[in-house]
Amino acid sequence: MWVNKLAILTLAAGLSGPAFAASTDKGHALYMANCGGCHQADGGGVPMMQPALIDSERANGEKGAVIDMILHGSAIIPMDESDYSNEMPSFSELSDDDIAEIATYVRTHFENHGGAVSADDVRARRAVRLPAVRN
Amino acid sequence: MIREIFTAGVAFACLSLAPVAPATAQVPTAAPAATEKAAPVISVPEGFKVDVFAAGIGRARHMAVSPSGWVYVALMRPQKGFGAVALHDDNGDGVADQKLYFAKGLRGTGVGIHNGHLYYSTDVSIIRWKLPDAGIPTTKPELIVGGFTRQRQHSAKPFTFDDAGHLYVNVGAPSNACMEKMRQKGSKGMDPCPILESYGGIWRFDADKTMQEQAKAERYATGIRNAMALDWNPYVNSLYLAMHGRDQLAEFFPQYYSPKESADLPGEEFHKVAEGANLGWPYSYYDQHVGKRMKMPEYGGDGKTPADRPGQMPLIGFPGHWAPNDLLFRRTGTWPAHYQTGAFIAFHGSWNRAPEPQQGYRVVYVPMDKKGNITGQWETFANGFAGKGPIMSPRDAYSRPTGLAEGPDGALYISSLVHGGRIYRVTYVGK
Repeated sequence: MWVNKLAILTLAAGLSGPAFAASTDKGHALYMANCGGCHQADGGGVPMMQPALIDSERANGEKGAVIDMILHGSAIIPMDESDYSNEMPSFSELSDDDIAEIATYVRTHFENHGGAVSADDVRARRAVRLPAVRN
Repeated sequence: MIREIFTAGVAFACLSLAPVAPATAQVPTAAPAATEKAAPVISVPEGFKVDVFAAGIGRARHMAVSPSGWVYVALMRPQKGFGAVALHDDNGDGVADQKLYFAKGLRGTGVGIHNGHLYYSTDVSIIRWKLPDAGIPTTKPELIVGGFTRQRQHSAKPFTFDDAGHLYVNVGAPSNACMEKMRQKGSKGMDPCPILESYGGIWRFDADKTMQEQAKAERYATGIRNAMALDWNPYVNSLYLAMHGRDQLAEFFPQYYSPKESADLPGEEFHKVAEGANLGWPYSYYDQHVGKRMKMPEYGGDGKTPADRPGQMPLIGFPGHWAPNDLLFRRTGTWPAHYQTGAFIAFHGSWNRAPEPQQGYRVVYVPMDKKGNITGQWETFANGFAGKGPIMSPRDAYSRPTGLAEGPDGALYISSLVHGGRIYRVTYVGK
């Protein structure tokens, strides 16, 4: 019984492991190239300037919340509601695949368990018109 | 025995030129818990001693010390609703016994004492109260300057005074390098940079006139990305400042800058600033290794091409991203002559040097004579604020110097806003 369970777990890990690992590497590389400078390699952010992503409410919440931040940057957060002084640019020029990789990386690392995001999820969020709050 | 009282100062959430409310209530509260774990040991030259003057006071920024020894600290975020705290050491043991909170509803960075008044800056205004002999202000605040535009980046309004009744205010650029698309890889710089019209410079005001506005005031100097560190040098009668250089060279221009080069560039510039000075931002930056101003890559630079537009040379280019957050010339004459006429600079420490370890997190001294000549290499005066390194992520730094002030007895106060907020006090005890 115990052996069977282990075998199934091993099999499952064997099937999904390499694919997940490849995706994580790409997500890590994209995160470091686009996000890590400000949010830091460890996701710790910079006090008062750029938010930490560790155990983050946003990264553990609905998929759209992280996608929207990547697509629109800090412009979607009213100035008075932000505790951080730096501005995050829009990364909407990245491909849907790359945004999905970054969002997945953030939602599955730094003590976050929000889960994966697909390119279709990103496409869906691109179609949503958010109220402009730039101020 | 620590006495801690929160007191209402002014409550005007939306700062405008409208009159402000007077002080009203006194509300005793419990002391905020000080974060003591892994507190760093600060190293200073022989003959000096460091005390933790106060801990757990909140997000401490700049400070000013009154003739009676009260230390006034601006808080970047309200502590239980208050934007400033007054501290006093009653028994002379180097530790504050009284903590009185004031400036209700505000948050700020700048504090200064001038002509019998205590000045305080929020991101959009500068106000003042009559300086009390002791404790917190009790008079109605006056609005000295209002109407600064609300902005996210570089929004703080640090200030200083000259000896002729002027107030000098840093209006930071809400930008990294005046890019067309804010902090986006591949974006060019706007040319001419429209931000310079109302930001990115020092504006001069009458220190004693109320209800002034930036739009009607005189721009004193330009080309300044963000100068948190500014002070009037009383020995040469001139404004000096240290400014925060631009971020993310390698991130946006990997073809020109390696991560290692980007960790150290551009130099953090220390300047003497005369009226009409242009410090070069955003068209150029200072490369401290080459000793020249270089063309900014957003404006056609490639890391090797010297600047072709105006921009004065700094006196010193400190290592990149150290973030100079305050500047102080001593006035009391209580320390050895070596420290009398030069500049102390508090470095907040970097966030933009990855993958290299983060650096800065110290107070340096620039030896200068009374004519303003730099007489030797700058030296680290107080260090160890970050705690045990290497610091790979800025959140791991225990303390990050943000402000400097000199007490009437000559003590040097150093503030830090993280891990609960602290004030260190350095005194000369002799050899």
